[in-house]
Amino acid sequence: MTTFLTFTILGLVLGSVYAIAASGLVLTYNTSGIFNFAHGAQAMLGTFLYWQLSVGWGLPVWLSLLLVVGVFGPLMGLLLHKLIMGALRDTAEVAKIVVTVAVMLGMVYLSQWIWDPVEPRTLTMFFGSDASVEIAGVVVRLHEILCLAVALAIALGLRMLFHRTRVGVVMRGTVDSPDLLRLNGHDPARVAAISWALGSALAVLAGILITPVSGGSLEANALTLLVIDAFAAAMFGRLRNIPPAFVGAMVLGLLGAYVTAYFPSDWTWTGNFRVSLPMILLFIVIVVLPQDRLRGAATRTRERYRVPSVRAAATWGLVLLGIVFLYSLLLADSGITTLGLGMAFAIIALSLTLLTGYAGEMNLAPMSFAAIATVIVFHFGITGSGLDASLNLPGIALAVVATAVVGGLVALPALRLRGLYLALATLAFGALLSNMVLRDTVEHTLAGFTFTLFPDGTLIIPKPRFGPVDLGDPLTFLLVATALFALIALGLAVLRNSGYGRRLAAMKDSPAATAMLGQNLVKLKLSVFMLSAAIAGLGGILMSSAMGSVEGESFGLMASLALVMLVVVGGIGYISGALFGGVMSGIGFTLLVGTFNDLAISQPQAATFFELLGNVVMVGTALVGMGVGKNPSGSVQGIMDGYRSLREARPVLIGGAALVAVLYALALAGLYGSWTFTLLALVVVMALPAVGQKLMPHAVAPVEGHGHSDEIRDDEPFTDTLRDRLDLALGLPARVPGVRAAAPQKGEEVNAPA
Amino acid sequence: MPLLETQGVTVRFGGNTAVNQVSIGAEEGRITGLIGPNGAGKTTLFNTVTGLQKPTEGRVLIDGVDITGMSPAKRAKLGLARTFQQLELFLSLSVRDNVKVAGDILRATTRKRIDLDAETDRILELTGLTDIAGRDVSDIPTGRARVVEVARALMTSPRVLLLDEPASGQTEQETEAFAELLTGLAADGLAICLVEHDLPLVMKLCATIHVLDYGSIIASGSPREVQESPEVIAAYIGTEEVA
Repeated sequence: MTTFLTFTILGLVLGSVYAIAASGLVLTYNTSGIFNFAHGAQAMLGTFLYWQLSVGWGLPVWLSLLLVVGVFGPLMGLLLHKLIMGALRDTAEVAKIVVTVAVMLGMVYLSQWIWDPVEPRTLTMFFGSDASVEIAGVVVRLHEILCLAVALAIALGLRMLFHRTRVGVVMRGTVDSPDLLRLNGHDPARVAAISWALGSALAVLAGILITPVSGGSLEANALTLLVIDAFAAAMFGRLRNIPPAFVGAMVLGLLGAYVTAYFPSDWTWTGNFRVSLPMILLFIVIVVLPQDRLRGAATRTRERYRVPSVRAAATWGLVLLGIVFLYSLLLADSGITTLGLGMAFAIIALSLTLLTGYAGEMNLAPMSFAAIATVIVFHFGITGSGLDASLNLPGIALAVVATAVVGGLVALPALRLRGLYLALATLAFGALLSNMVLRDTVEHTLAGFTFTLFPDGTLIIPKPRFGPVDLGDPLTFLLVATALFALIALGLAVLRNSGYGRRLAAMKDSPAATAMLGQNLVKLKLSVFMLSAAIAGLGGILMSSAMGSVEGESFGLMASLALVMLVVVGGIGYISGALFGGVMSGIGFTLLVGTFNDLAISQPQAATFFELLGNVVMVGTALVGMGVGKNPSGSVQGIMDGYRSLREARPVLIGGAALVAVLYALALAGLYGSWTFTLLALVVVMALPAVGQKLMPHAVAPVEGHGHSDEIRDDEPFTDTLRDRLDLALGLPARVPGVRAAAPQKGEEVNAPA
Repeated sequence: MPLLETQGVTVRFGGNTAVNQVSIGAEEGRITGLIGPNGAGKTTLFNTVTGLQKPTEGRVLIDGVDITGMSPAKRAKLGLARTFQQLELFLSLSVRDNVKVAGDILRATTRKRIDLDAETDRILELTGLTDIAGRDVSDIPTGRARVVEVARALMTSPRVLLLDEPASGQTEQETEAFAELLTGLAADGLAICLVEHDLPLVMKLCATIHVLDYGSIIASGSPREVQESPEVIAAYIGTEEVA
């Protein structure tokens, strides 16, 4: 009985913190329609700041609390609202998701920059961990009572806000009909800003309260993910209603406590199951929730993607192979290995081009599929041992096929879902996989077999060898990986131009219309999900063998989210976007940050400067991600478009190519290193369109826009026909019915479109 | 017997009854009109017939087969096709591919061997879209975009075609050509159900007209009968509003 009571109280305490976090999330989603993936990161950042003030600088607890929860939290919310909201009008769900994901990553990088992760930090309970009272034989700490009291106060406070105050009532109306609010003289943006401030303060409060309860040590990733657990609670109220979210939070807290209390401790899965519980619950709640009706594209989005022609894809593939080969001549073996790793990541990124770019479905956990294939190939695909070990083709094929099947099985319950819900379901799956498989280092016995999924937390993955082709050689590996990328990209171009590709595009643009043409959407989604999982799996195997040894963290949620963000920044609808995103997330970080750290070591007098640069790169990338709203179609294609306009300006193109060739020759001759060449070449490539504009303004054709090219243009006189058309387009019935043949007149006023 | 039939269809959203005990039909080779003021429940009825909305009560039948519980895709296989009042074109595809993709779906889901390109060209020709076949569908005027939706629906070789305000946004000439197209299609045996606010067009084309008001059928009959119905006159005058 005491056990039961102890764990019930523990569960309720955890539940109240989840409830605080979840209510903040619901608040922001309700008023702005944006699901804030950065909610956990905000909590984390606030908690770190609180630590800095109260422990680091020794300020009184009350003052630190006031400054962090009362000032910093709301300010952070207001700032985010300002940064995010304006940029996200008329963008697809993908951009909306990626922007807050970028904020989240940026905050995590920022905190690791300010607070060195190597140094341990702890946060103790309020009133100390000894301050407690005994209730019915159970010791309850004052901190725990405080959590319960705060949650209760917030529940009552929010209820008052929504039902008794003007602002609260307006908040409730914001999401349903912002236009109506505007007509009534309210400002939806102001209301949204207030709720972001409030939601952000609640996140910070939740972070400060939960840290001591869950061990007390402050760690950026862990704390961010801890608050993400509150997503499940928010989902109980369909992200809309706070009371069910409170119930969900309590269910979540209690279940977790009871699993700890009553699950057999000798059962080898218990520990990981306990940690995964919130994500399992999130997945279940999303899947069983009644879904919205099948919808079409309600809003026109700004994203537009050109369809790649098969010939162009083939040509670009060969060009890429050539460039990579030439570039590899400048690199040392270690550099070639790193570039090979980048290519492997680019292949994983191609899975997103297919799934999100072509089919419009979301997957926030691409690295999880990479992990599945890696685990399978580790168990079944290695020939030989020690230094002679290699991956064999049947093993790789098995892993890829099995990943596709697992991908399909996972996606199956979630396939009715769309947009945000599907994204959250994949997020839950990714977290679940991280906890249950990638941390599965203990031995299990099942039906007579003894096995460990992820032995010792590290898998040694050798390089593949196919007959005479040994990928153990770095250059061979790089070229094979590049060729594979080019081949898959070519395959995607073929696919996009096929009937299957058109069906995917149709489903992405209007699911309702596609279903009405006889397409079973679940089948189509399932097929594209499996195909995408297979590609991610293949890339994952290459990635793991390029790294040589992988840990669970290599496939973690943060890695997945960073990849998704970078691919969207590069352009999710384009193969070039996958190349950019993959190479950037595969090697960009490691290489850039590594280079700066090397420089810092070699030049101690400028060490701080180079370390600063390394950190700026990390945070800067996230800032670029936040800019996705401004250019939702992606940045790489923007550069390509610049070149499209240079087609006629041959001398500029030839001059540019010659310049790069000279730079390359000089680098080959050893005049400067590969990094200098890379920077110089990039500058030339980026600057060329602008230079062309200056040098040969007449030869540079204007880029074809995607604006309105209706027959009505502002440079021709308005004829009657044109005016009629304008009237019709604007829904003005004035002239049209009168002109038409005589007929019954009643009801003509109804002629305007609804 | 009508090819498409609703039997006592009722749709309630919370306490609101959007469609109330509607039993109407559409016959082969005929154009059936469905008119009524804004918010009368026309689109909701279409959504119910095509499976995008579950009815609270009642049944929907095609050729005597109860399709009430079927998915939209299955209904399409039985020969049901529709257009949307709020355009649902595939914005990343060209005009031609918007039509062609319907054939892609047909080929992938029924193993029907059709010459896709020839059939697409035939439909584009029939609907008068050949001149803009290569254009981005987001770049064409609304009136023609509505025809693209019709062409796309025709590509599935439907038996019943539901048109939701197909003429809104069309110029006079476009509407004339469109009327001709519909007459031709009906002559070939297609059952067409037309929701339209352009009353002259409805009166010209339809053999039977149903008038929907506040979710209920208030009159059914020939154009003349409907025009003379006192309920219809009351409904329209009663709901006169500034556009």
